[in-house]
Amino acid sequence: MDKMKFEEALNRLEEMVEKLESGELDLEASIKTFQEGITLSLFCQKELEQAQGRVQRLVESLSGDLELDDLDV
Amino acid sequence: MQEFLTVTALNQYINRLLENDEILQDCWLKGEISGCKLYQQSGHLYFTLKDEESAVSCVMFKSRVRSLKFKPQDGQEVLLRGSLAVFGRQGRYQVYVQEIQPYGVGGILLLLERLKRDLEIRGYFAPEKKKQLPALANRIGIVTSQDGAALRDMVRILKQRHRRVDVILVHSAVQGAEAPRELARGIALLNRYGQVDIIIIGRGGGALEDLMAFNTEEVVKAIYESQIPVISAVGHEIDFTLADLAADLRAATPSQAAQLAVPDMSALEQELINRQKRMQRALERRLAYWDECLDRIMSKKLWYEPEILLKDKWDDLQANREALIKLVQDKLREKENRFALAARSLDTLSPLKVMDRGYVVVKREGHIVKSGSETQIGDHLTVALNDADLEVVVESKELKLRYG
Repeated sequence: MDKMKFEEALNRLEEMVEKLESGELDLEASIKTFQEGITLSLFCQKELEQAQGRVQRLVESLSGDLELDDLDV
Repeated sequence: MQEFLTVTALNQYINRLLENDEILQDCWLKGEISGCKLYQQSGHLYFTLKDEESAVSCVMFKSRVRSLKFKPQDGQEVLLRGSLAVFGRQGRYQVYVQEIQPYGVGGILLLLERLKRDLEIRGYFAPEKKKQLPALANRIGIVTSQDGAALRDMVRILKQRHRRVDVILVHSAVQGAEAPRELARGIALLNRYGQVDIIIIGRGGGALEDLMAFNTEEVVKAIYESQIPVISAVGHEIDFTLADLAADLRAATPSQAAQLAVPDMSALEQELINRQKRMQRALERRLAYWDECLDRIMSKKLWYEPEILLKDKWDDLQANREALIKLVQDKLREKENRFALAARSLDTLSPLKVMDRGYVVVKREGHIVKSGSETQIGDHLTVALNDADLEVVVESKELKLRYG
């Protein structure tokens, strides 16, 4: 998986926050860190909204294709 | 003449009937082993399977005997799988056995223990092979029966914690002869599909015999080979199923598996908002700090009275100039004093001053005459007064005695 994982992004976000909170960054680095943090938090936000609340059943058709149909539980 | 069959034809006919019967070609039989004999030469195993009222001959060929996980013994209750065929030479049918499993809890546990050891050695339960579950799982794959209560429980709890969670079910028998193959295929199918973050494989509780599908090498292998983390969720009273040991995480029940699979979304969302807020506050604090620094710098006098930058230099310059002028003046004054002094001395020593008082200078042919002895009577001398030179002639001369 190339895609960054949610927990990776969440951890990096925590790093950014701690760096900013430490007060050791100069102005340019602060802005840069903040921007990176915003990007990360938007990514996390998006991940949290990824799912669509569907319940489906996966079946393999006779031809070997994968098919999804809705399932009422 | 009446129509007849040969004995061989009869047996062949009966055999065809057996061969064409689906049930008799692959069935499970339960019974007690008796007259068990393993022929050393051929390696085939022969025994009779019986219950209270009946008996049937069984044979297990060498190639199948090798796959036995235990040693069948007389008196043992077993489940066996096989097909029926006629043994023509003796005119009787017998069971051609494919596999034998001990029946009853004791027997099953014994078998399980063996299988467990075997799979352990092959690394299927190795802790270092366990995959970590993602902190956020949006899509949950489930392999279980679509008719079971376990599925409903899992979906309910998944949705409680994660309102928008997606559930992808692969329906599978969870007990019976087909269950192992279907469960394993379900895991493989979800891996092929690839779009789920976690797989839950499980069923509700049941007797040990009902859970046997989760104790098969087929299912264990499928769990082990899954690229996607697997949670096992077999409700049961005994200590473990082999699926539990192979799974990346074991849940005691399907409900618990659902709880472990997805995070409490509201807590996670809150956590994210907290971090965003903290970051914003931290940046604002930093900016305020720099603002203050800037204010402090900009409030300094030099920005609106830049001449103060020059004032010190100006003062220095002024002081130096004054010092320089004073120095020159002092030098000048000193020179003047010395000159005046010298002039005064000069004045005092000046012969003119002496001559003012009545002294004269006597010269002869331009040379000053200082002694009478230098002159002769009749010499022409010049007597210099302050205001005139007199030409005189020496008429007499009288030398004076000098004292002192």
